[in-house]
Amino acid sequence: MKKMLLIILLILSMACPVFALDGKALLEQVDRNLSPESYESYRKLINIEPSGAKKEFTLFTVKKGVDKVASLFIAPASEKGRSTLRVGDNMWLNIPNIGKPIRITSLQSVVGGVFNNADILQLDYTAEYDVEKVDEKGSEYLLYLKAKTKTVAYDKLKIWADKDKKLPTKIECLTEANMLIKTLYFKDVKDFGGGLVRPAVIETDSPLYKGYKSVMIFAKVKKKTFKDEVFTLTFMPNLESLR
Amino acid sequence: MKRLWLVFLFFAICAVPALAGAEETYTFDPGETEKKPYHVGGYVEFKPILYGLDRDSAFYKQRFFSDPRGQNLLEANGRIQLEGYFEKNIFRIYAKTNTDLKSSYSGESERSTFYELYASLKPLINLKFDVGKKTMKWGKGYAWNPVAFVDRPKDPDDPETALEGYILATADYIKSFEGPLKTISFTPVLFPVYDHVNDSFGNNYKLNVAGRLYFLLYDTDIDLMFMTGGSRTDRYGADFSRNITTNFEIHGELAYVQNFQKNVLDVNGNRYQVEGDAVSYVIGIRHLTTFDLTTIIEYYHNGMGFSGNDMKNYYAYITRGYNTYQTTGNATLLGNVQQMAEGSYGRANAMANYLYIRFSQKEPFDILYFTPSLTWMMNTDDQSWSLTPDLLYTGITNWEFRIRTGIIFGARNSDFGEKQNDYRIELRVGYYF
Repeated sequence: MKKMLLIILLILSMACPVFALDGKALLEQVDRNLSPESYESYRKLINIEPSGAKKEFTLFTVKKGVDKVASLFIAPASEKGRSTLRVGDNMWLNIPNIGKPIRITSLQSVVGGVFNNADILQLDYTAEYDVEKVDEKGSEYLLYLKAKTKTVAYDKLKIWADKDKKLPTKIECLTEANMLIKTLYFKDVKDFGGGLVRPAVIETDSPLYKGYKSVMIFAKVKKKTFKDEVFTLTFMPNLESLR
Repeated sequence: MKRLWLVFLFFAICAVPALAGAEETYTFDPGETEKKPYHVGGYVEFKPILYGLDRDSAFYKQRFFSDPRGQNLLEANGRIQLEGYFEKNIFRIYAKTNTDLKSSYSGESERSTFYELYASLKPLINLKFDVGKKTMKWGKGYAWNPVAFVDRPKDPDDPETALEGYILATADYIKSFEGPLKTISFTPVLFPVYDHVNDSFGNNYKLNVAGRLYFLLYDTDIDLMFMTGGSRTDRYGADFSRNITTNFEIHGELAYVQNFQKNVLDVNGNRYQVEGDAVSYVIGIRHLTTFDLTTIIEYYHNGMGFSGNDMKNYYAYITRGYNTYQTTGNATLLGNVQQMAEGSYGRANAMANYLYIRFSQKEPFDILYFTPSLTWMMNTDDQSWSLTPDLLYTGITNWEFRIRTGIIFGARNSDFGEKQNDYRIELRVGYYF
């Protein structure tokens, strides 16, 4: 019996290094390596159709803390001046012609294509997900994430992250029933200055949009702080003044 | 007509590079993000419309009594909007012009105006002052906004069209908090009505005051608003909007108007005034399915609207005027009718209770940027209704292509049944630059 207990203790002690891998801390590190907690950035979204036809959108984005993010379309001319705001689970779209901000949902897409509003107005992963499990797969970690609430766009995420850089290389977005909604591929790691080294390109495809592809390219990401008042409905028409 | 052809030619020239550009490779030059202190842009639209006329309807008789038309009426419309701003430090000037061109049976017409022209001063990130002509766009409803006290009424048949503003002075003060109350903002408005300044709004020589208080409280947008000053009777309003789930939103508006007055026709065609307090409201939902079908449902009660009998008396008055004109050539009664139509009787949704249902399916059959939609609007008092199928394609950068059809159903003496048209088919080609 004593031998049995010793064997169990030995197994438990060997297991400890695996448990010591703190999934939450790892995810927080991935979040911070992707962007400062508060920042401004310029992104281009490109939707590519199976025919090769493309449509591009350029966005100026500001983020503060874990739950506030706002984006302003600066191109093309048909979208210029449109803005989106996210405060936690609340999302709004302001179209200058319509004028007043209207509530939108995370699963909709203000740009069409594979990226939806939750992808465009991305919060920190730690703000929306709990880490259920972490596996080690060669040079990568595989993090299994579960949404904290039902209001999150994807119920589950599987994040493949580079062990050295602690940066994602691939993310699978899944439903509660493990159905794949889309896959994000992180490419072209680049130095954005200020100590930020992150992928400059995110590609996505989806079994729901066969043959279609969307690409997000980051041109500038700069650490910057903003007042909370910037992330309000009343301020939405004035986002241009932050540029 | 020449001007409309110029608009058409503009489209033809612009379309060539736009279509060719679809095959270009993508790049992201950081220079694209550089901000200039000014911006100039615009929108050009060409919109031919074919109307199928209902020659027995009251509004047909009112409009075409002296110049009867056939079964159909073709009309060509053009629109040019220019917008731009210039900013320096805390100052900014913004302008948006609108030119409407029309060519129809009655000839050509043009109307140009500034939709907006105002100066802004932004001394703090959370404080801004605007003076000039501006649209305020209060309210949460999609088709109707009874609490939009300082705006022109929008067309429920085309609620996303830009509106002309009013001349006013306003400010925005914003304060954010931690906790369930996340934001408060206050928007006071000074609204003058004098000769050549908002003089179509209401009683002249008055300086009106309005205001809106906004809260984001427990993830719910809430607005409280008021307007007083004498150009129109005092009014108070509230609205809200909230996401119940990620794909289900509810919203509502309530407006209380004191001592509201309206001119009504009795059964003999005599005008009399009705006065009293009126309550108007909108309650609505917006829902998105997993397969991207957006449904908007709104119910609108217009406390200032006409009853079925009021409208019947009005239609009877038109018929009497029309018959008088046919037998004697005297158009006096129809002149009175025209005056009343320009007042309240002729406005969109002039009656009391309406239901609005809109379905729009994003990108069906994997056709990117293609959105078909179907809008159904019903007068629940007389069960007359309109149905508007709409096909929208935005796949070519900066271009918008839309085909809309409006079909109207309703018995005689009903709201939609007495409209000028039985149906309408329109093509809209728009280009942003």
